[in-house]
Amino acid sequence: MSYTYNKFGSRSTTTKINPPTTSTTEIPDVKLDYNNNYVHTNVNPISYIKNIQNPVDGYPKLIKLHQLKKQQINVHATQAYGKRVETDQIIPVLNSWIKLGLKFDVIMIGALVDNQFILPILNSLPINKLCSKPGFLFIWASTEKIKELTKLLNENELNKKFRRSEEIVFLPIDKNSKYYPNQEDNVGLFENQQWHCWMCITGTVRRSTDGDLIHCNIDTDLQIQNNLENNAVPDLIYKICENFSNSNRRLHIIPSKLDENHYIKLRKGWVIMSPDILLDNFDVIKYNDELYQKSMIKRQDNKDQFLIQVTNEIEQLRPKTPK
Amino acid sequence: MLYNLDQFVTLIHFLLENESIILSMPINGDLWKIRHLINDCSSTHINTDNEFINYLQQFNQISSQSLQFNKTLDTFHKITLFNMPTLQFINIVNILILKERLSGNSISIDATPKFNKTLEQLLEPSQPQKIEYTHEQLLLLSFQNESSILKTLLNKPTAKTILTKQRAKLKTPIQPFYQVCDDINHNYSLASIALNNKKETYNSKNLQEHLIHKKIQQSKSNLNQEVYKCYCEKIHFLPIINNHTDLTLGDCSYLDTCHKMRNCRYLHYFTLNPLPRQKQQQQVIKSYDYTIDDCFTENFRPILPPQWIECDVRKLPFSTLGKFAAIISDPAWDIHMSLPYSTCKDDELLELPMQELCDEGIIMLWVTGRSIEIGRKALVKWGYKVSDEMIWIKLNQLKRTIVTGRTGHWLNHSKEHLLVGIKGNPIWLNTKIDLDLVISNTRETSRKPDEFYDIVERLVGKHSRKLEIFGRDHNTRPGWLTIGNQLKGVSLYEPEVKLKYNMYINKQK
Repeated sequence: MSYTYNKFGSRSTTTKINPPTTSTTEIPDVKLDYNNNYVHTNVNPISYIKNIQNPVDGYPKLIKLHQLKKQQINVHATQAYGKRVETDQIIPVLNSWIKLGLKFDVIMIGALVDNQFILPILNSLPINKLCSKPGFLFIWASTEKIKELTKLLNENELNKKFRRSEEIVFLPIDKNSKYYPNQEDNVGLFENQQWHCWMCITGTVRRSTDGDLIHCNIDTDLQIQNNLENNAVPDLIYKICENFSNSNRRLHIIPSKLDENHYIKLRKGWVIMSPDILLDNFDVIKYNDELYQKSMIKRQDNKDQFLIQVTNEIEQLRPKTPK
Repeated sequence: MLYNLDQFVTLIHFLLENESIILSMPINGDLWKIRHLINDCSSTHINTDNEFINYLQQFNQISSQSLQFNKTLDTFHKITLFNMPTLQFINIVNILILKERLSGNSISIDATPKFNKTLEQLLEPSQPQKIEYTHEQLLLLSFQNESSILKTLLNKPTAKTILTKQRAKLKTPIQPFYQVCDDINHNYSLASIALNNKKETYNSKNLQEHLIHKKIQQSKSNLNQEVYKCYCEKIHFLPIINNHTDLTLGDCSYLDTCHKMRNCRYLHYFTLNPLPRQKQQQQVIKSYDYTIDDCFTENFRPILPPQWIECDVRKLPFSTLGKFAAIISDPAWDIHMSLPYSTCKDDELLELPMQELCDEGIIMLWVTGRSIEIGRKALVKWGYKVSDEMIWIKLNQLKRTIVTGRTGHWLNHSKEHLLVGIKGNPIWLNTKIDLDLVISNTRETSRKPDEFYDIVERLVGKHSRKLEIFGRDHNTRPGWLTIGNQLKGVSLYEPEVKLKYNMYINKQK
């Protein structure tokens, strides 16, 4: 068999199969090359993706599942809590919570802003005491910070307890977005527009058997900005956490002050801790009461857990590991 | 001549006031300049340079050598600009003392206030100093209360980036590009004309694009004008509704890559591309003046045809291949999955002598979730620094991200990662032309988008040597050398590589 090459390097065999005999016009195969288009028009390839507004468009079962999950999460969620704490007081406050026996199942650290103090927090916080087992950690990193965080997660004791399980990427829609990363300290070869959020798991969870604790494969590891919000963390990412873990105790730590482009939006079901938050209403006793009221479930092993009740309909619709 | 004491008063004032000016640019302590300056502001007129030197000698005598020069202060028989001494240091304290003495006062500590102040600052550095300019004040002064201007300035692309981008634009051939129609009604009304034979079961195999175009053009009159116009310009996805299609189920997760298309109950689509308007004009690659970081023969040197070697990458001595500006590799990471090809152990990959292949340049390494850490380690071991993390966003037929099909363990995966490493200090790279992501449709299992080749070519230049490791037949490309065990045969054009490879083969025998 012999090959021919056209100028741009795509190859076609000379023994072509069934050329359209009846047609007078040869129809070339159209392959949309978004990167080529970007070089010529400067239009970001992301803007051509067709399911940004509704990622599950075209899949009725998934649409239904997302709806039901949202309702169920909302029913069980605690009220929105804020805890205003100066950056240098975060560790002492968290330590005092640990003393009181407060634990969280989902902990997110950081936001979509540069110059976060995530490393110092991770270094000095006994996170395994604050996080229950099994527990889920979501850590934000700009492309620049990945190297340092990688090192920490590989070498530190953290590594033995927290397994890096997924890497979620969040993309701003275009250059005008408030989420578009600063290019001034980008030393890479390409224009950088990704935000990384690592999902780490501690303790044992199995996706085949622990359907009361976690629901896998509901969301994807890529999220694209779909509105003009400028929260410190987009709703889409909170949603991933909520859809994945059925646990109801969620903490979000934003260690540093934000720039003028971002603000913190409170979210039902979450305790958000930051020097910048307006509402300062967190109260351990009140929080505990609310958890017992709204989401106390006895698991098979007779342990109390603060979980979101899984309805039959959700159980039936959610993607499951084949038996 | 001997000068009167009064005649030094002007000099004292002049020196005290202008100390720093005299010693710095543009005067630099040059005596001929200083003489003219003094003449300008004093009544004592000194006419020649020798006279001035004499004057200064006398001043030094009464002020205990307060002026220091780079050479001894002597009068010259013949004085020029070059042999004249230059003033290098002025002892202010001595001059201050002299000033006090001339005005008839006795020397007191108060008489040297400047000295004291200096000394205090020297002795007590801990004393809080009044900061005259703060960062904020400077910003305010320079940017009129709008510090965001600075940020905007810093964020602006450099002239080099702008020029390389412009050049890339001129040199990259334009690929035909169409929009995708968003209006679901258009798709349905086009389908009602083109795919309306109830007796026939449609699938991608028995649908021919030119016949569908013919059908639509014949029934142009039945179509809304707007729909027809849209049909001419944009890509449409016509729903294929067969008797077995169950519309309540929604779209097929695999769409055009579905293996059971003949009886799949989920909805499938037919991609209808617009007809090309006219014959695409042959694009002429022109030559451009801005050739910085480019090979100067760029415009007329032909590009080498694809080269490849079928080999076990672990055994081939890399010294036969030479050095490369860019390396791309998609190792079959051992991720405990049953795939239709053999996988490579992590250690084996790390042991490859990749450092031999590149002195200065870039590497791109495809990684999967678990292997991303091994990939980072590998790049560092081979002498690279991780510079970027690119992603490939996988699209399906309908240009949507892939959201179903349990593609990942905890979350679904709609992207793949590619680590980019940089070695040495390759200032010849054309950086920041492309974004750190590629958006492209999925193809056969594990086949990666070709867009990355174009990106690499824009980055390192068309004529740089480029290597792909673990490539397959579909990866061979003009200008690239591909090695891997799934290729067929050997094809080499570069004489040196050919020679070395033959020597290696002969030795094996």
